[in-house]
Order: sequence, then C-alpha cells, then structure tokens
Amino acid sequence: MSSQAATASVPAAAAASGGRKPLATIFLIIGILGLAVALVGMFMGLNQDTPNGRPVMSWLLGYTFWFGMLIGMLMLVQISYIFDAGWSTIIRRQLEHFLAAFPWMFLLLVPMVALPFFIGDNPGVLWKWMNLDNVLAGAHPVRVGDDPLYLHKAGLLNLPFFIVRLCIYFAVFCGLSYLLRKNSFTNDIQPDPKRYINCRKISGAGLFLTPMALTFAAFDLLMSLSYHWFSTMYGVWFFAVSMRMALAVTVITLYFLSTRGGLKGILNESHYYMLGCIFLAFTIFWAYISFSQFFLIYNANIPEETFWYNLRQLNADGTYNEWWWVGLSLIFCMFLFPFLFLLRYKNKVIPRNMVFISVWILVFAIVDLYFNIAPTQKPADNVLGYVTSPFLTGYMLFDLAAWIGVGGIVLWAALRSMATTYPIPIHDPRIRESIASVQ
Amino acid sequence: MAKHTHDTYGILAEFTETPAFYEAVGKVKEAGYKKFDCFTPFPVHGLDHQMGIGRSKVPIFTAIGGVTGFCTGMLITWYMNGFNYPLIVGGKPFWSPIFPFPIMYELTILLSAFGTLFGMFATNLLPRHNHPVFEYEDYIKCGDDTFFLVIEKADPKFDLEQTRSMLEQLGSTKVEVLKA
Repeated sequence: MSSQAATASVPAAAAASGGRKPLATIFLIIGILGLAVALVGMFMGLNQDTPNGRPVMSWLLGYTFWFGMLIGMLMLVQISYIFDAGWSTIIRRQLEHFLAAFPWMFLLLVPMVALPFFIGDNPGVLWKWMNLDNVLAGAHPVRVGDDPLYLHKAGLLNLPFFIVRLCIYFAVFCGLSYLLRKNSFTNDIQPDPKRYINCRKISGAGLFLTPMALTFAAFDLLMSLSYHWFSTMYGVWFFAVSMRMALAVTVITLYFLSTRGGLKGILNESHYYMLGCIFLAFTIFWAYISFSQFFLIYNANIPEETFWYNLRQLNADGTYNEWWWVGLSLIFCMFLFPFLFLLRYKNKVIPRNMVFISVWILVFAIVDLYFNIAPTQKPADNVLGYVTSPFLTGYMLFDLAAWIGVGGIVLWAALRSMATTYPIPIHDPRIRESIASVQ
Repeated sequence: MAKHTHDTYGILAEFTETPAFYEAVGKVKEAGYKKFDCFTPFPVHGLDHQMGIGRSKVPIFTAIGGVTGFCTGMLITWYMNGFNYPLIVGGKPFWSPIFPFPIMYELTILLSAFGTLFGMFATNLLPRHNHPVFEYEDYIKCGDDTFFLVIEKADPKFDLEQTRSMLEQLGSTKVEVLKA
C-alpha cells in the first residue's frame, strides 16, 4: 500500500480522494454571494446620513470568526509539531489545508479597512479613532482629536502604523502557514525526515510569533473599537476562543471526512477522545480567562475599566439590558454545559456527540464574539449620555451574510488544497503511530 | 477438591512472551473468568480491554468531591460574609457569587483531588498489608521479564485441575498454585 502510494503521482491521489473540485466551487459561489450581500450592507451603513457603523461591523463579526478559527488551527499545527505528538498527525494534515485560506483572509480585510475612506464621509465609522472629528458619546461628549486618552495612544492608534501592523501580522500568519504546508506536502512526494525537523524548528519560532501577532491583532481589530478601555487579558481571551472555534471546526471536518471522505476507516475513536480532551482543556481555559478579566475589573472597580462591563450589563436607569442575558448565556452555555458534557468519557468517543458539542460551541463562540465586539455607545439623552446598541437587530442578516461569505471563501480554499494532495501525510515519521493511536 | 478450598488463593501462570500472554489473557476472559489479574514488567497497551475491565470508577468520587467543594465554598462565604458577620468590603455586596469565586474554585479543586486520591484507594482496596502473590517464590520476576496471569479461587468458574490445564494449553511456561 505504502509503496504504491509512494509511486503514484499526486493528481492521481487527488482523483482518488474524491475530486472535491465541484464542492469547492459551490463554496466559492456561496462565499462570493455572501460577501456581495455583506458589501451591500456596508455601502448602506456608510451612506446613511448619520454614519452608522453597525453594518460595517457585520463584516468584522463574520471575519473575526473565521480569522480566529484559522489562527487556532495554525496554533494547533505548531503545537502538535512542538510536542512531537504522534496521534495528531492525520488531523494535522486537515488543519494544514485550512491554513491555505490565510492569504485570502488578508484580501478580505481590505474592504473593511479601506472602504470607509472612499465611501461615505466618515472613515472612522467602525474604529472611532480613525476620524479625529468623531465625537464619543458619554456624559461629557468629547472629540477624538481632543481626547487626552486618544492623544496618549495616538502613537499606536494611527492609520499608517495600523496598516503596517496588520501587514506584519499577516506576514507572520501567511509565512508560517506557507512554510509548514510546503514542508509537509513536499514530504509526501520526496520523503525526507529532515522536513519534519524543519517543521519543528519553524514551529518553535512560530509559537513565539503567532501568539504575539494574534494578541496584537486582537488589540488592533477588536479592542481598539472602544479605545478607552484596555485589558491585558484580551489577547489571551481571543486565543482561547480561537482555539475552541478551531477545535470545533476540526471535529466537524473530521466527522465529514471520516464518514464520506478520505479518512474513512482511518480515524478511530481515540482521535476523537484526544481531541475531546484538548477541547475540554480549552473550555476550562476560556472560562478561566474570561472570568479572570471580569473578576479583576470587578474587584479593582476602576471607572476606566468597569464602563466596558457596565455597557454590557446595565441601562442608564440601572435595569439590565439585553447584553446581561448574553453574558449569562456565555457562563452557562459557553462554559458550564460544554464543560459537563466534555467531562464525560462516553461523549468524547462518540463522534456524533462530539459533533453536537462542536456545533453548540460554535454557536456560543459567535455569541461570545458579539459580546466582546458588538456593544457600542450611542448618544442618548440620559444621565450616562449614551445607550448601548442592542444585541438583536435587523443588521444580524448582514452579520450572517458576512459569516457565510468569509466562511465560503475559507472552505473553498481548504477544499481546493485538499484536492492537491493525499488525505493523510503518508511519509510523515509519525504517521503509523497516528493511525494505530490508542487511548 | 476439598483440600484447596482453605489454603489456596488461586493459580499463577508465567509467560515470557508478550503476544502469547496477551492472547492468553483474551482466552481467559472468553472462558468466562472474572476474578483474575495480570502482573507485567511494563505497561501493555490495550490490556485493560483484553481483560474486559471497564472504565475506572474513580471519576465518580472526583465529581462528588468537586460538587461538595463548590457547595462548601459557597456556603462558608455566604455564612461568614453574608449572614454571620456582614461586612462591607470595597463597596461590594455582602455576598455575591463573584468576589468569593476563588474560594469556591479552590475548594472544588481541593476536594476533587481528595476525592480522586481516596477514591483510587477505595476502588483499589488499599491500603493492605500483604497480597498472596507476594508469597510466590519468583514474584520478583514480574518486575523483570515475566508476565503473571493469576486466576483467583474466588472465581465461580475456578476448578483447580481444569484451570491449570487450560493455562498450560495457553502457552504458559510455568503454572503454580498460590497459597492464601
């Protein structure tokens, strides 16, 4: 079997793996349609008389989901190399296919950052600090350009440096994915254990570079939406939720590949068990990080920090707003239920149960992204000078379109990559160990 | 038959090859024996499954310990700060589930660790002073290069002659009767 595979050319292997081209094309069409609808929303949002950032934020919400998922996958690939893990080898190959989407993610970032400068009259519609004439809502409305809190951060939060930083992050993400993919895929055709060693070295550097890049990307893209606020936990939170999204998508992908794809008969219950264990670990990690951030801010009780949570909890009259219920759903549905579910051994070895909890976690990961990204202060005539933008709005349709759009492109890139090589890395030094993996 | 009922613990069979031992364990399980145990010089992967042993019961003790710890933490913080000696600290409520969370969290971990440790002792019937297998003259060999398969007399299917001949047929290099 292995000698046959070694002599077969890669296109033949691609044909044997089921010829995924048509499915990839369907995803591409769905992706383009979704992005088109999201773009329409963005135009509408930018052209309104009173600039309204919400439909532009739809793009950010949809984008962040897949961006985080890809970062989580990049981390998982590097972690499995650095730990020299045997069991994960066949899973790592599926993650490597997804990494093909990183350059496309860079392209998809462009409309969100660039379009506000060409359409409408307020380039700072999403990131308020991009337009110094924006006035921040509050008891004492202040122009961004006169805001001492902005002026202190102006060295970081200015457009040229922002764009340079985004380019650096993507140089890290795309560069690492390219190197890891190239070494791994070339090894199928020209086996050489040195490539595995190379990947381990790349991962060693990558496990320093990736967390740095993802932390600052989270600061720039998400935390700077409300630039008065700061939390050192924010990058770690983004990492935690990214890992959970990556693991959830991995489990669902593996389920499809093992029931009707190239992994039929290769994936066994121990792979699901191992994934379930990591999934449980990151469920606890996410709760630890999210709660720590809340706990420290709650206990320190400093107004510069607490307003961010007040925004997500209270109306001006002291009653709970919609976001309070969103926050509670995160505690019970994003942490407690998945935690108890994944504690049980049986749930980790039954693929359908793993798929169920993955879908569940994906849904609440989206809710978590909403909680951390979407609430903004709208000017209002009350004691606080603002109201929080609501959770449930009609703009959610644009969120859905952006989510489907970016997702279509990511899945298209992954499936296109799957068609070019073998379903498993046949000459990886650890491949036998991975196939024979036992708990 | 009557003789061995008082002073016999079971039958011990020695194996020198891992595959033969692994197969033999499977055969013993298939023959319907329940009360038997293995002693190996190194961990043999999949041996639990081959012996027909289910999942450990220890997680139940862990869960009970964890829930107890969480509830204890909640109760003591409520009793101290909210009921017995209400005190305003940092403008926080007398009691809420947020500020004393580290107490609940740490007690959850502490008592689930206790539950795990003592649950492990309970399910393994530890501590005990001695075990009949220690009395076997070559016991030390199971730490070196020999696998032991011990079928206890307490097993309903145990029959001195039949069990001994079965173990000999399974490729055991030496079969001995263990004294209780």
